[in-house]
Amino acid sequence: MTTENSVKFVDSANDFHKINSIETAVDIKDVTVSFKGSKGTFTAIKDINLEIKKGEIVALIGHSGCGKSTLMNTISGMVAPSQGEVIANGSVVKGPGPDRGIVFQNYSLLPWLTVYKNIYEAVDSVFKDKTSVEKHELVEENLKMVNLIQHKDKLPGQLSGGMKQRVAIARAFAINPKILLLDEPFGALDALTKSSMHIELLKLWNLDNRNKTIVMVTHDVEEAIFLSDKVVVMNNGPAATIKKIVDVNLPRPRNKKDITHDPEYIRIHDELLTLLFDKFSIED
Amino acid sequence: MKNSAKNLAYFLGSMAILIGLWELISIITKAEIPSPLSTWTVFKELMTEPFYDRGPNDKGIGNNLLSSIGRVFTGFALGSIVAIPMGMLMGSTKIGMKLLNPIVQILKPVSPLAWFPLGLLAFKDSGGATIFIIAITSLWPTVINTAFGVSSIPQDHKNVGKAFGFSTWKYLTKIVIPYALPHIFTGLRLSIGIAWVVIVAGEMLSGGVGIGFFVWDSWNGLSLEKILVAILIIGGVGLILDKGFNALQNAFSWEGK
Repeated sequence: MTTENSVKFVDSANDFHKINSIETAVDIKDVTVSFKGSKGTFTAIKDINLEIKKGEIVALIGHSGCGKSTLMNTISGMVAPSQGEVIANGSVVKGPGPDRGIVFQNYSLLPWLTVYKNIYEAVDSVFKDKTSVEKHELVEENLKMVNLIQHKDKLPGQLSGGMKQRVAIARAFAINPKILLLDEPFGALDALTKSSMHIELLKLWNLDNRNKTIVMVTHDVEEAIFLSDKVVVMNNGPAATIKKIVDVNLPRPRNKKDITHDPEYIRIHDELLTLLFDKFSIED
Repeated sequence: MKNSAKNLAYFLGSMAILIGLWELISIITKAEIPSPLSTWTVFKELMTEPFYDRGPNDKGIGNNLLSSIGRVFTGFALGSIVAIPMGMLMGSTKIGMKLLNPIVQILKPVSPLAWFPLGLLAFKDSGGATIFIIAITSLWPTVINTAFGVSSIPQDHKNVGKAFGFSTWKYLTKIVIPYALPHIFTGLRLSIGIAWVVIVAGEMLSGGVGIGFFVWDSWNGLSLEKILVAILIIGGVGLILDKGFNALQNAFSWEGK
């Protein structure tokens, strides 16, 4: 995060954002997901409709077990909807695909492969037409982007949580997906590391001219507001639905420290807490 | 450094207990069981010319040992070639597990000696039959451990393969095998142990050459010292095999790295 880079983002960033937000990246249409278990059918999410524009950052927020991960997994293709359909990048989602990069909750790095190899195997798998040299360049480039090039020969077990998460993010970026899906990506990190990861994520998003659509699952209200353009608040499951979609109209680039004093930030923060907290007290 | 010196001291202490008990038994039986000292004398004699060869039934102990080790590794290798893919099949598919597991459970407890006649029938040769019984009795731990390793791959690792569209080959070589490797090596270590136990019994039946035959031949020649030497050598080689496979297991384990 050099200052030089940050200055560059400020100039062009907002324009890109406006231009890009016309196209639809993800269209979730009447999606219901049910799981058949030993005790009968369990409906996780019900009749969900959600449209996400290209280049948007959208946070799915809700209490544990509300089905937010399930909803995101219908976009990734890891979970198939029982009813309805998900359209991503113009085609119906039938399963996981390289146009949708996933950063898993617990990093999911392969512990027997070095940092470099973890990214290389993903790149090698996705870009079958690229030459070996091109693939290696791509890995190097993405490792440099997350400042891990000097750790490239380490095994994941030798890295801190924040570093592992950066590897996972670099791996997802390396396959250059149009949509990036993050499942509680910073949940296991301490507050300081988390903050710097937020900045890094936005930096990567900016580097790519805000072309990538990012959908993230979180239960951290501050994280959701700081990063997102839209916060999708979910009702508690089972058969969870969308309670409300809150727009976050805070100008970018956002500053971690100043943003908390912004009246709009405080208003959204209050609204989200009320949405989440009301539900909680009724349940009690 | 300090630790390895301590371990060596414990090992020597352990050996002292063994030799002490042996000496005691020798005294109680009035030297019917030879004493450690007289066994040592015979050991030195055998070691002066371990590789002599005076015809088919009279070979040095070194020749016998090498022949046994060769058979053990041949049988073990053949068994493992069957065991590892079989275990992977059982571990990766429910159908594979359900179809193959009963076979494993039925054949696993069968004594190696019961297989011997079948080996003779199939190979018309006692050497081949010995290798056959080693293969068929030593493969089970590898099958079971491989199956366990493959079936216990965490969902997280499987998801990586799915999310990044790994081909079957990449999934197998970058996820399944690396994850299961420590388990496979545990199986192989148990299997080589069994193979080494089985060889002595097998060679007693097959005759000709080998450490098992050497034991039987010494019994016929009424040299209990030679039998004791052979027992110690069998034990020592078994220990080395186990340590060797333990080292391999550690070398291929990614856990704790």
